[in-house]
Amino acid sequence: MSTPGAGTGPRELSQLQLWFQRVITDAQGAEAGVSSEEAQRLIQLAPGDLERVITRSRALTAAERLAIYANAYHSRLLECLGEVFPMLKRTLGEEAFDGLAFGYLQAFPSRSYTLNELGRHFPLYLEQTRPSPRDGESVTVDETDTNAALALAVDWPSFLIDLAGLEWAIYEVFDGPGVEGAVLLRNDQVLAIPAERWPEAKLTPVTCLKLLATRFPVNDYYTALRKAKIDELPPVPASAETFVALTRREYVVRRYNLSRLEYELLKALKEGRSVGEAVESVVPLAGPDLDLLAVNLQTWFRNWTAEGFFQSVSL
Amino acid sequence: MAEKRLGYPHLGLGVGLRTVHFDHILQHHPPVDWFEVISENFMDSRGRPRYVLDQIAERYPVVMHGVSLSIGSTDPLNFEYLGKLKALAREIRPRWISDHVCWTGVAGRNTHDLLPMPLTEASLKHVVERIRTLQDFLERPFVLENPSTYVGFTGSTLSEWEFIARMAQEADCGLLLDVNNVYVSSVNHDFDPEEFIRSVPHERVVQFHLAGHANRRTHLIDTHDSQVVDPVWMLYRLAHQLTGGASTLLEWDARIPPFPVVHAEVLKAKRHIGTELADGAMWSADAEPARFDVGQEEAPAVETEEGEFPHPLHHIAAAVE
Repeated sequence: MSTPGAGTGPRELSQLQLWFQRVITDAQGAEAGVSSEEAQRLIQLAPGDLERVITRSRALTAAERLAIYANAYHSRLLECLGEVFPMLKRTLGEEAFDGLAFGYLQAFPSRSYTLNELGRHFPLYLEQTRPSPRDGESVTVDETDTNAALALAVDWPSFLIDLAGLEWAIYEVFDGPGVEGAVLLRNDQVLAIPAERWPEAKLTPVTCLKLLATRFPVNDYYTALRKAKIDELPPVPASAETFVALTRREYVVRRYNLSRLEYELLKALKEGRSVGEAVESVVPLAGPDLDLLAVNLQTWFRNWTAEGFFQSVSL
Repeated sequence: MAEKRLGYPHLGLGVGLRTVHFDHILQHHPPVDWFEVISENFMDSRGRPRYVLDQIAERYPVVMHGVSLSIGSTDPLNFEYLGKLKALAREIRPRWISDHVCWTGVAGRNTHDLLPMPLTEASLKHVVERIRTLQDFLERPFVLENPSTYVGFTGSTLSEWEFIARMAQEADCGLLLDVNNVYVSSVNHDFDPEEFIRSVPHERVVQFHLAGHANRRTHLIDTHDSQVVDPVWMLYRLAHQLTGGASTLLEWDARIPPFPVVHAEVLKAKRHIGTELADGAMWSADAEPARFDVGQEEAPAVETEEGEFPHPLHHIAAAVE
């Protein structure tokens, strides 16, 4: 009987590695992995024949030894995802979070050299696998928990997806490009722009400014959850279209709630439109009181500049 | 005969840089000899992790230690990854760069684990060729670490120390001798750790790793979550004697205590290498080697609970206002 992995060619090493990876990443555990069609195609093993490939130790069988890697694979990556989405994990509870994360790892196994990329597709995965309204029971919640019961009454999947999206955005802003050490636009520079040239001015937002539109006020929920005791959860909010700006100063992520108008205005500026074009684009959303809009615009631009939203202005 | 430690310096007693200690280090500038950083945590960082690393690299000697090189994989070497590794090295000027004798994934996937190689002539040849390519690309000798492993392959024809010794000689690379990993693997594979320590080419040992592990009674797991146990200290003493001493680093990756506790743990090494290190003199290679009994752990190893796992990796969480 040949011994897999003992050959001299790279092909056999490749085959052994493909087999090993397939076995230890199997969702049902290493034993199921060995029996899987793909693993059997790579190395055909009859039940109980695992020791043709893996040696036993004095204390452990080959299957028990292989299980160490299988357990470690999932445990390590679940822990990592829990660190990227800490508020989602608290909201769902460890068991429910791990269940979703486990499914995610099957659907989107890591293909990157860095764990920093591991959570990138998690919000997308939640969206793709969201339960339809008629099978809402597929989301497990503790019915003795009033918060969980309330959650059943709201669009719970959308709330969770929004929260995951916010956490991933925070994560990206935290370690992405920033403007620490750079000279940013000041309010006195903004005030120095002649009024007649203001419409043609182009404000360049800082590279770390990120805008989010959410179906639930997850930014407020995030704040409330951070303030809550570790064993407490704030109420799941009612759905409401909300808008958030994220940026980074001194290497710490800052979060700002925005109105719809603010969001659209900043979005237009991020797209490279001039101040005049950006304002024009939000006028239809502003209602009839254009004087109020004019006052708001001054306040917004002053606050945004003070908060370091803009790198520079060009005329 | 290779130049001792490939010409790399003896940095003293260092600590693995971990996020939870960033503030302490920046505020107190503790008198640590050097830091080892996880390369992948900083290669793409344009935020606080990289800022902290720059501050630390200005003040302390730094070594880059990777976890995703996957030198044993049959996938092609990832030159995008290697380019970033080289760029980071150009910027922070580590004393050397290291990774593990393992593979982390195949067919484009990354399990983020340090998976074991079958110890065969074929895989040795494969690894040696790739180390040569790697060193040509990085334009410096590379340093490779023996990982903790939990399975062996029936196809293996070499002992781990034979594999590592031949790999180092044939590829002309350095060794990061993880003494805790030797001990963990010796229990898991029923071999004599002293034979391992005695058999590697001592002049190629650039660095030692120390760490705590967990005792699951039937096997040990390299959890990096506790103090170094006495048998590992005894092995370290032997390794120090045989190599004449090399840079020593403590890893602590889970249940991480405050920085002074971690630092104090690596400073215990002084008890095992005498005062010679502090005086700049080398330990006498003629000294009587230490003896120990495999599996007789005098210091309490942590008994793990279900769900604990090998912890070679470290991940950075975001700071949010």
